[in-house]
Parts: sequence; structure tokens; C-alpha cells
Amino acid sequence: MYKFTPYLVKTLWRHRGRTMLTVSGSAVALFVFCFVGAVQEGLDRLTSQNDSTLIVFQANKFCPATSHLPQDYDQIIRKMPGVREVVPIQVFTNNCRASLDVVVFYGVPAKKVQKIRDFELVAGSWSEFKSNQDSGIVGESVARRRNLKLGTKFSVGEVKVTVAGIFNSTDQSEEDYVYTHLDFLQRTPGMNLVGTVTQHEVLLEDSADAVRVAGLIDDEFRAGPVETDTRTKGVFQASSLADLVELIELSHYLGYACVGLMTMLISTTTFMAVQDRIKEHSVLQTLGFSGSIVFALVLAESILISVGGGVVGTGAAMLTLAGSGLSVGAEAVTIAFSPSVGLALTGLVGSLAVGIAAGVLPAVAAARADIINGLRQA
Amino acid sequence: MLIEIRNLTKSFQKGDETITPLRDVSLDIDAGEFVSLMGPSGTGKSTLLNQIAGIDKPNFGTITVNGTEITTISRSRLAKWRAANVGYIFQTHNLIPVLTAYENVELPLLLLPFNRAERRRRVQIALEAVELVDRASHYPRQLSGGQEQRVGIARAIVTDPKVVVADEPTGDLDSATSAHILDLLQRLNSDLGTTLLMVTHDAEAAAIAGRQLRLDDGRLIDDTQQKQSLITTAEGTANV
Ligand SMILES: Nc1ncnc2c1ncn2[C@@H]1O[C@H](COP(=O)(O)OP(=O)(O)OP(=O)(O)O)[C@@H](O)[C@H]1O
Ligand SMILES: [Mg+2]
Repeated sequence: MYKFTPYLVKTLWRHRGRTMLTVSGSAVALFVFCFVGAVQEGLDRLTSQNDSTLIVFQANKFCPATSHLPQDYDQIIRKMPGVREVVPIQVFTNNCRASLDVVVFYGVPAKKVQKIRDFELVAGSWSEFKSNQDSGIVGESVARRRNLKLGTKFSVGEVKVTVAGIFNSTDQSEEDYVYTHLDFLQRTPGMNLVGTVTQHEVLLEDSADAVRVAGLIDDEFRAGPVETDTRTKGVFQASSLADLVELIELSHYLGYACVGLMTMLISTTTFMAVQDRIKEHSVLQTLGFSGSIVFALVLAESILISVGGGVVGTGAAMLTLAGSGLSVGAEAVTIAFSPSVGLALTGLVGSLAVGIAAGVLPAVAAARADIINGLRQA
Repeated sequence: MLIEIRNLTKSFQKGDETITPLRDVSLDIDAGEFVSLMGPSGTGKSTLLNQIAGIDKPNFGTITVNGTEITTISRSRLAKWRAANVGYIFQTHNLIPVLTAYENVELPLLLLPFNRAERRRRVQIALEAVELVDRASHYPRQLSGGQEQRVGIARAIVTDPKVVVADEPTGDLDSATSAHILDLLQRLNSDLGTTLLMVTHDAEAAAIAGRQLRLDDGRLIDDTQQKQSLITTAEGTANV
């Protein structure tokens, strides 16, 4: 088939206006597909997080600003069977509702951050963070989005923090958080939070049964002073994002719709190309081109267009995702939009599949067209 | 005998009407012959040519070319057979507009098991035969009508086919250019021994062929034999 490459390429180039338009349309479709795919992937990452971490929240509260648990609950929980570590966390967010620009502060005992997270500092130092009460380490995504550098002072509401470090993490969504000292966040002016935290994060032993431990914790505090609601981190995050989940699922369908649209666009273009060249295909068949070669040529045309669009669209989506550090969040849980190899492969393989699907009908039509009728065309 | 046509019948359905341009036609053509075919418009000259070229199939009868019975083989095998055995010269050159003269001539060779060097050699020979080596890299739109037709001829002979058919090859050309093309066809026949079957409306053109046939009302008449012997008998015989 490679022998026919000049013919294929020159044919596409001859109608370059049409070819470029179709490639661009396909690229846009695939860009959208990859983008919503990234959001879906981000959501899946959050909701499928392993069962070895529990989040203890105040019962019947949803926004972190309204959940207040006694900080010393950690002492009681620590003694329960199956519990490896308990971390009291004060959460502060600029926006409890669904938003594209959510900044979330996690106030955590400074010495525990490294114990419970696998952060790697790309700038700054741990000692700098630990020795300065008003310092914070910020995730790479936030830093990129808000243009934060080492030493930058920034404030959200009453909270003013100096950047002591910038970290990345194997867990993409973590890079959307700012970690600060717990007592610093508790002493935020205008809030009387000393002695209370938003939630406790409970790390379990490998052998522990998460649901059973969660039940034990909630039973323990049912009588007060503050009732708790304990869920695995995945379930907790899923319920925080509940409002967004449906929207994201819907947008996922829009992604598929884009791919469907792309299929029809390419199919239309290929059909037009076939109709333009009924006579040419008859001439080729007269020269001895078999129906299967004509079929393959038309299919190859369709695949070249769609994979061309696929490469451009997927590439642009990956670059945008990598460069913008976009995220969407609600109730202090953020979904990071990030590129992934899997997503890029899905986009490319998808565009190949679209090329085949879009090309089959026009290719069959071209291959089975009557030679004599074709030659008799003006 | 290179081509043996026996009792060929071809009809077309046009709405309720059935047109039968070829009725029980038989014809033998020897290797190396140059045969011209004349006749009024719509009598089935192109139809006969297309049956021989293997791009259309008859309703009845057989065509054997170089021992291969082409009327019964499958569509895909027929395509392969065409690639190796037939050269087709069209009335309008029918060159592929996006390809250069060289690439147009090379096209049929891509279907045969030749490597690049061998293809290059054959294209070179074909372009030399039509005296267009210096136009190899030109696109059809950069060529004159006569040059385009010569590229079309080069494309038809490049695979060194058993038979070359030409359907009114000078139909679209002025008389000077026509003469040039006819001269070229004659040389192909005499110098290279190419078996040629040419449909034409022009008696002068037909005259250059060694053997002149006329298709009239379903009958094939051999004008070369002055006695107008009936090679083919058809129901039409009664009309004479
Ligand atoms: N594919 C087809 N469908 C229907 N009718 C056809 C078809 N091909 C040919 N015919 C009819 O068959 C008859 C013979 O056609 P053909 O093209 O062979 O004539 P011709 O002798 O080559 O004429 P001309 O000199 O005008 O080229 C005509 O009446 C034509 O209308
Ligand atoms: Mg004709």
C-alpha cells in the first residue's frame, strides 16, 4: 500500500481547504473529548482512592466551614483497633460551592505532613516550612495557576501565607492544595477555631476493615459531644463532589457526541471525495486496481484525515491540560485536570477507530461502483 | 489465436426497454494485429471493447484472451488480469490530475511485482516511446491535449500488455495532433508488435489498421475482405 502514498497525499492536498477544515473540525472534537476525559479521569482518581484512609467529618455537615470536631478526638480514635495514624486537619477554602478557582488550605501538624503524604519539594525546603508558623507549601497546580513563587506572600480571605515550598505528588489532585500549620489556620483572625478541626484523617493498617472501623468511630461519638460521620476517603470525596458528578457524567456524553460528530464530518468529507472521483476510481479500476485496493485507498484517506485531527486535537488537549493546571472543585475537594498517557492513547486510538468507521461506507461505495457507469460520467 | 470471442451477447436494461447492442458476436484476433472498429454511434463499439478489456461482462458468450477465459472469472481476479494483460487508451486521456506524467505512467506498474528500479526503467521506455521524457515531471494541466493523450498511451503500454484497446483515441484532438497519435499507434504495432484494437469514427484513422471491422446493427463486418464476408451472424441477418 505504501506505494500509493504519493497518490493519497496529493489527493488530500489537492483539496487542502476541505482537508484542513475536516482535520480542524476533528481536532476540535478530539480536544473536547480529551478534555472531558481528563475531568472524568480526575474524578475517578478521587472517588476510587483506596479504602485504607478514612475521613471523619461532623455528621450532617457538608461544607468544611461548618464542620467542627474536637481536635482531641484523635487521641480516642488512635486507640481503636486497625488504626495506624490519625491526623487532625483544619480545612479552609475560599469557595465552598462548585467553582473553577478553588483554593483549599489544609492545616496539618507540620511534622506530620511528610508522614502522611508522598510530597516531593521541587522548590523550597521542609525545614523552612516547619520553622515558620505562617508558611505553607503549595501544590504545583496551585502555584502555576496563581503564579506563586518561593517567598511569595499570598492571602485568601483572612489567611495570609508565605510560600516555603512547592511540591508535586503522585496523586495529581493533591497538587491543588496548600498545606499550612494546623495551629496557624486555627488562629485565623475572626474565627474561633482553637481546639477544633474540620476533620480527622485516619490511616488504617493494611489488614483493617475500613467499614467496620468507620462504624466503630461513629458509634463512639454518637452520644456526643459532636456526632461524626466517617467514610472512606473515596466515598467522602465522591459525596463532596456529588453535584459535579452528574455534570461531569453529562459532559462525558458530550465528549462522545463530539466523537460521533467527528465521525459524520469525516464520513461526509470522504463521501464527497468519492463522489468527486467516481470517474477517477473507474479509471483506476480499468488500469487493474481491484475493488479492495480502491476500498483501501478511500479508507486510508479517511484514516489520514481523522488521525491527523486526532494528533492535533489530542496534542493540543494534552498541552493545555499540562500547561494550565486547571481544576474544578466543590466543598474543598478539587478535581485536577491533568494529561495522561492513557488519555492520549485513547484519543489517538479513538481517532483511528473514527477514521475506519467514517471511511467504511464511502470505501464500500467506491469499491463496488460500476466501472462502465463511472467511465461514462462527464 | 490471441483473442477468441464466441457468440457474445450483451444487453442493457433502460427502464422497461432492453437494448442489445451486441448479439451473438464472434471474432478472432491474432497476436500482433492492428484492428480498427468503425460503425454508427450507439451500435456497441465501446461495449465490445469493454468486454475485451475485461471491465464489463457479457450476458452470453465467451472471450478467451491468451488462453484465459475472462468472462467467468471473479471481479477481483479480473482486475489482476487487467493489470497484467490490458492497456486501455481512453478518448479523453483520463490522467489522474494530481499525479505527474511520470507518476501516471507508473500507476499500473504499482500493481505488478516490480521493484522501484524496474518501474523506473519501464516508465522511461514508455515515455521515450511517446517522446515525452522531457515532460515526465509535468502535471496533466501543464500538458497540451495531444501530450496528455500520449501520456495516456504510455500508461497503456508500460506494462507491456497482451492487448491494447483504444476507444476513439483521436476523438478529442485536432487533425494534426490526431495524425501524430495515429502514427504513434501504428509504430507501436509495427515496432513493438503490440496487439491493438481501436474504435474510431474516422475512416482515415481506421485505414491505418491492418484489419478494419465495422459494427452495424449487431453485425460485425470485416471490410478488409472486400467481399464483406459475414464473420458474425445475428438475427439481424434477415434485415440485410
Ligand atoms: N451502462 C449502460 N447502461 C445502459 N445502456 C447502455 C450502457 N452502456 C451502453 N449502453 C447503450 O448501449 C448502446 C451501445 O453503446 P456504446 O457506448 O457501446 O455505443 P458506441 O458504438 O460506442 O457509440 P459511440 O460511437 O457514440 O461511442 C447504446 O444504445 C447505449 O445507450
Ligand atoms: Mg463509444
